[in-house]
Amino acid sequence: MAVETKDTKAFPRGELKTYGLMELVRGTSPLVGKGPENTVFAFPIVAILEALLAIGTTLFLLLFSLLRDAPLEELANPDLTTNPAKAPWYFMALQELLLHMHPVLAGILVPGLVVLFLIALPYLDNDPADSGRWFASSRGRKIVIWTALYTLLVQAALIGFDEFMGLRGLGAASPAILQFVGPILFGVLLLGLPLLLLWRFKPNRREVMLLIFTVILVSAVVLTISGFLFRGPGMHLYPPWNMPDGYNPWSSL
Amino acid sequence: MANLIDSITASRVWRSFFRHGWPDTEINRSLVMTTNIFFHLHPVKVSRKSLRASSTWGLGVIATILFIILTLTGILIMFYYVPSTEMAYDSIIILQTKVLYGQLMRNMHRWAAHAMVLVVVLHMLRVFYTGAYKPPREFNWVVGVFLLLMTLGASFTGYLLPWDQLSFWAITVGTNIAGYAPLIGPKMRFMLLGGFEVGQNALIRFYALHIMALPLLMAGAASVHIWRVRKDGGLAMQGGQEELLDIE
Ligand code: HEM
Repeated sequence: MAVETKDTKAFPRGELKTYGLMELVRGTSPLVGKGPENTVFAFPIVAILEALLAIGTTLFLLLFSLLRDAPLEELANPDLTTNPAKAPWYFMALQELLLHMHPVLAGILVPGLVVLFLIALPYLDNDPADSGRWFASSRGRKIVIWTALYTLLVQAALIGFDEFMGLRGLGAASPAILQFVGPILFGVLLLGLPLLLLWRFKPNRREVMLLIFTVILVSAVVLTISGFLFRGPGMHLYPPWNMPDGYNPWSSL
Repeated sequence: MANLIDSITASRVWRSFFRHGWPDTEINRSLVMTTNIFFHLHPVKVSRKSLRASSTWGLGVIATILFIILTLTGILIMFYYVPSTEMAYDSIIILQTKVLYGQLMRNMHRWAAHAMVLVVVLHMLRVFYTGAYKPPREFNWVVGVFLLLMTLGASFTGYLLPWDQLSFWAITVGTNIAGYAPLIGPKMRFMLLGGFEVGQNALIRFYALHIMALPLLMAGAASVHIWRVRKDGGLAMQGGQEELLDIE
């Protein structure tokens, strides 16, 4: 303990101190580059903004809760299946996927890959130069807009195709093709085509991530809306304003 | 009057609570932030730009607020709710019809739950499209992904509790999806439900997860998450302050 070294001579241990100098390191503090002219004291402005958000959120919820009651149906009855039987809306993208492919793909592989992608994302794209700027650049913004439009159209078309014709309609019969090969092929094309196109413009990593993330996001949104709003009895597609049997998709919130 | 206020704020009791003077000087404004545990999650100084609505749309803060509203309304509902298949449904009916503001409490809890899922997703989109996941914020992004998964879990486990047709079949359909995993799927589903079907065991498990396990984990993770925003140098902003914390 009490070994005298060059360091302890230069920085003697204080009698009352419970800490000591351990090591000198090179590095910059979190505020480097944020000149004083760019910053303000967090108190009171941040406290005021947060209080305003709290009041606004609470009032909005209160008002909404006065206007709309939470749903409550009949007592649970395991012998009487509801038609349709739907998962909560935030899982409807998965349930919609289940209609189109093998459960191992829809229930495990696809969501698993999405979560893995999200976790790996900051390690795949780690150049902080353009961090903090919406869409990185005007080119990034264009990539996002075109990708979103493309995914919206293709995903909606795929859902419609599978409902009204499907690979079965084209003559495929083997379950392996219907449940695995077909859906995987469509998935790879959905993501691969725009990636190939983008490749010709020599994208940086951020732009590749913008594209992949947008394909996933818009697909999830389209699948959720289709499953939540357009699926009626028998999980078939209907216009949401004209469901058979008086089924109202909104009643399941 | 001024005398009275002075003597209160100079009293030993007051000063044992607040270890700083009136926050009209820079040192006292710093002390407000550093001597209060809730403010201490924030930085002392923030960049002007980060206060603009278009920087964050306030979504992380709104998610935190919704979590607090859910905790408060949830506690009130717990005073009446009974997690048994025999009584759960009736206790909800009683809450709605016999308890003063009971229906309002349930409505607020329900709508806040939906809103929180939506707001957390929107917050993730904001963080992604502003590129705020990049170093030094990788870890906080990953904490965020787990917060998202826990938010979904908390919402899903709560969905079963009213024990009506909607809950029962939504949870049956939802847990069936988990059962599709090869090999471990059926085991996972059995563990989640405490049986092969949604019944009393599932209800009590979902209840324990919903009112205790997930909220505790989320409160812990959210504290780490928000504190980490400060430790990572505040919000990601353009203006040359990047490549922070590259301690070697
Ligand atoms: C319960 C859920 C969550 C809560 C309560 C929460 C709360 C917050 C708060 C209060 C901030 C400060 C800035 C702001 O308001 O935007 C923040 C920033 C951040 N959040 Fe979250 N968050 C949650 C979920 C997520 C998710 C799902 C992700 C991503 C997958 C995420 C990633 C981040 C990152 C990387 C930052 C730093 C952003 C920057 O520096 O600009 N968070 N979060």
